[in-house]
Formats: sequence, C-alpha cells, structure tokens
Amino acid sequence: MSVWFKQRLQDCGPALAMQGPWGDCTYADLARLQAAVRIDLQALALDGPAVFALVGEHEPAAVAWLFALAEAGHSVAPLAGNLAEHPGKLGEIGAQWIVTSAGFGWTLLPRMSEPSAHAAFGQLRTQGHAGLVLFSSGTSGRPKVMVQDLTVLLSTYQDRRRNHLPVLALLGFDHIGGLNTLFGALATGSTLVVPADRSAAVVAAAIAQYQVAVLPASPTFLNLLLVSGEHQTHDLSSLRVITYGTEPMPPGLLSRLRTAFPRVRFIQTFGTSETGIIRTESPDADSTFIRFVDPSTEWKVVDDELWLRSLTQVGGYLDTRDGAGKFTSDGWFRTGDKVELGPEGTLRILGRLGEVINVGGEKLMPAEVESVILNLPLVLDCRVRGEANALVGQAVVADVVAAAAADHEQLRAAIRNACRRALAAHKVPTRVRFVAAVSGERLKKIR
Amino acid sequence: MNMPTFTRDAAVRLILARLARFGQELGQPALAMADEQTRLFGEASPLDSIGLVTLMSDLEGDIHKACGVWVTIADEKAMSRLTSPFRRVGLLADHIVELVAATRV
Repeated sequence: MSVWFKQRLQDCGPALAMQGPWGDCTYADLARLQAAVRIDLQALALDGPAVFALVGEHEPAAVAWLFALAEAGHSVAPLAGNLAEHPGKLGEIGAQWIVTSAGFGWTLLPRMSEPSAHAAFGQLRTQGHAGLVLFSSGTSGRPKVMVQDLTVLLSTYQDRRRNHLPVLALLGFDHIGGLNTLFGALATGSTLVVPADRSAAVVAAAIAQYQVAVLPASPTFLNLLLVSGEHQTHDLSSLRVITYGTEPMPPGLLSRLRTAFPRVRFIQTFGTSETGIIRTESPDADSTFIRFVDPSTEWKVVDDELWLRSLTQVGGYLDTRDGAGKFTSDGWFRTGDKVELGPEGTLRILGRLGEVINVGGEKLMPAEVESVILNLPLVLDCRVRGEANALVGQAVVADVVAAAAADHEQLRAAIRNACRRALAAHKVPTRVRFVAAVSGERLKKIR
Repeated sequence: MNMPTFTRDAAVRLILARLARFGQELGQPALAMADEQTRLFGEASPLDSIGLVTLMSDLEGDIHKACGVWVTIADEKAMSRLTSPFRRVGLLADHIVELVAATRV
C-alpha cells in the first residue's frame, strides 16, 4: 500500500475522508472497508496479479477497492458513466473480475478465468507494481486503452502537506483529473465532497452544505454555474480556490468569474491520461497562461504542439496500433494540444489539433459517434465534427445524408436517442444537420 | 428587404412548441406544460447542459424557418449578461427578439 495512504488512515481516523449522498465516511471507516476488501481478495486465492474492472463513482467502497487492489499489485480499470459503453471497454482489457460498488457496499463477479495476455500487464507483474487502466476515445470508434503504473502514480502524492480544506469531486472516478482530486484530497488528510450529480444546482448546494474550499472544475462547468445563477442562490463563501483545466479558458469567462468570486484564487491545472497531472503555476490571477513547475515532467513545443515527457507516463496503449505516432522513440508524448508560447517560460492552451472534440473538458472522437449513427436504417452517410459553442466550449455536430423517405424531424430525434442509449451524454450530437453529401471518408456504411 | 417584426409572443410560442417536441424526444411530457416562467437551466430545470445546448441548436433552426435568418443564441453577449437569458423561457424570448432584430438593422 502506498505509504502515505496507510499513514493517513492511521493519523486521521475520526476525521471525515468522504461525504456524499451515501452519508459520511471517516478515515477509520475507509480502513475498515479496506480490511473487508482484503478478506474478499484473499478468498479468491489468486496465484498472481489480475485485472479488475471497478464499476462505480467516487464512493467509499470504490475507493477502498482501488487502494486494496493497488496494495496487492493488481491492475484496476475504473468504469463510470454510461453503462452501454462498459461491455466494449471490458472486452478491450480482458478483465478477470468485476467489482460493482454502491456507497459502502459492493458485489464481486468473475468475468473470465484467463489472465489478460497484454504485455503492459506482464511488465507491471515483473516489477511487482499495480496498474491503472484508463480509457480515451479512439479514432476507429473503439476505446483506446492505456495502462499507468499505479504504484508510481500514487507515490507522487507522498509529500503532500496536511490541510483541512474540503475538496469537491467534479470529474469522474474513471477520469485522470477525478482520480487526481481523490488522491490529492486523501493525501492531504482532508475531505472529498461528492455531489449527487454534476449539475450546477446540486454542486452549488453541496459546496454550501459541506463548506467546500477547493473546487476543481472545467471552464464549461464554471460557465454553466454563472449561467444558472446558482452561485447567487447558495452561499459559496467557503470557496478559497477554484482550479480549472481539461479545456481552454476563454479570457472573458475568467474575467466574469473573478468578478463573481472576488475572494477566490483561480489556478489553472494541466494533465493528460497519458502523462498524469502536471503541477503548474499562473503568472497572475487574470492570466490564462501557465508555467509548468513539475520536476517530474519535461515539456517542449514542436510545430505549435505541446510535447511532454513525465515520470508518471503510460508505457503506451494496450493495442499498439493506437500508439502509432503518439509516442516518440525517446519517450516524448505528443499531446495533440495546440499551444502558444508566452513570456518567461509560460504557455497557453489554444485547443486541440486534429479531430478530437472537447465538450466541456470531456473528449471524444468523431468515429465513435458516426459508428452509432450509421447503424440507423434511414441514414446513408454521416460526418461528425466539433463546433465552437459559448456554453460548453465545443458542441458535437452531425452532418447526415438521409434517405429520401426520411422525415427529418423524426430522424433527428431517432439519431439523438440512439446516441443517448449507446454513448456517454457529452457524445450525443446537439446539432443534426441534413446535407446532400459529406466530404472525405472515415467510416463507410455497409449496405 | 422589409421583413415583418418578429414579436415577443411569436418567440415565446416558438420556444414552447420546441420544448414540447423536445419533451417527446426525451420522454419528458412535462416539458409540454412549460410557460414563460419555466426555468430552462439551473435548479428545478429538466435540462442538463447538453440538453440546453441541443434545445438552442433546434431553436436556431426554428428561427431560420420562421424568419429566414440564422442567429447564434449562445453568443458572447448572452454569456456576459448579468441575468442569463437561459434561466427562463421569457428571458430567452427577449434575447431571441433582440438577436433577430439585430439582423435586420
């Protein structure tokens, strides 16, 4: 088990580790849950490290399982969000066990008996390290899978100083940013506050109820908080720090936020699933430029693209075809983020190069949406792209060639409902345009 | 070309009709009961952020059909208003009337 986690469980016993819709959970509760998980793990009588899928959100049982699996050197794939996406993800990783958590409880089910044959897991096994499996959107419509060294990742939280500033968990349990929030909160011995959902109203109510001091959020969430007016109807005076990342911050929005929250410090963060979260600082509070101040990370800009090389970097993708061109032979990761250099070693994130669409900080590839739409009988062809949107940064637009018999209004609703069933909410096209033809080739409809 | 004015009443009717259709699509028939005071976004609103963006996009198509002009409802002006036009149906109608009028100056 990572040394700091063990230390915090001992030192912080009666202090609150997590608060959420399932109730309060102290560090002592987490320790008890972890002990119970150990018993379940021992009962499996595994003869070596295995791959576990962990279905859940930020909640006590899921956290206890995550740390117990890390301690025992297993690999864990946190799965959250739309259930329809899970079978595809499970298939990609070859998970042997599935844990489904709900608040303080869980169920454990076997999925397959053979250990995963992927080389990345074998390498971790040799080192005696635990693995963290993360997913991102792939160009072919299937998810791209990467394996982090969880033992190394957790060790980077070792030197965090104790504080008592409650932190709100806004990004998901399966997101590198959401895991960073969780590890950061527990490593400092503070409390992770989990809202019942991520709407502006519920989050604002949770901030007021639990006196949240630190809010890690995306610019889109902060924009929607202002648009909803919930920052005026709830007492958010406990907030001291708002960190923002996962998508570019429009300067106009930062200025409105500074007016709405005059006493709050705004800090920009940066990270990728491939490299982990990188420590940064801002030259001043009104600036959207950042400076990397992380000793474990090197960076450079090549043809306007940010390249990173870090200690907490994934070895590559499970399917090596996914990694083609993303990692250089000397270990640099090409982030796909277009950046602009500023004065004194600063830089600013401008957006994404290539096809990735970033909806409020959650990313997707056009192909995964196209593959769902092309399955509908009245759709002849389709292209999905991103479009600038003042509410959520980028919105998903589908240009669709429909059969002559199609009623456009009905087909538009059918397309969106098919996407709602099969995909996470941010991937559903908000605009469906009917066009005579689409340009270029990506997926071909098989007729 | 001299186009007839797009009235506030017409804008409210357009929004309510679209909300009803969107309610059918989402399986939320309550959206057909909306009125000028209905909250679009925030506490007690039936829409999440993606729902709000979808509604705006459909409304832009409806406005084009009704008036022959394309407008962007979620523009910088809408975002910087002290009271967001996305909070209630009536506020959104005011904003849309302004947007359409601005295309005819």
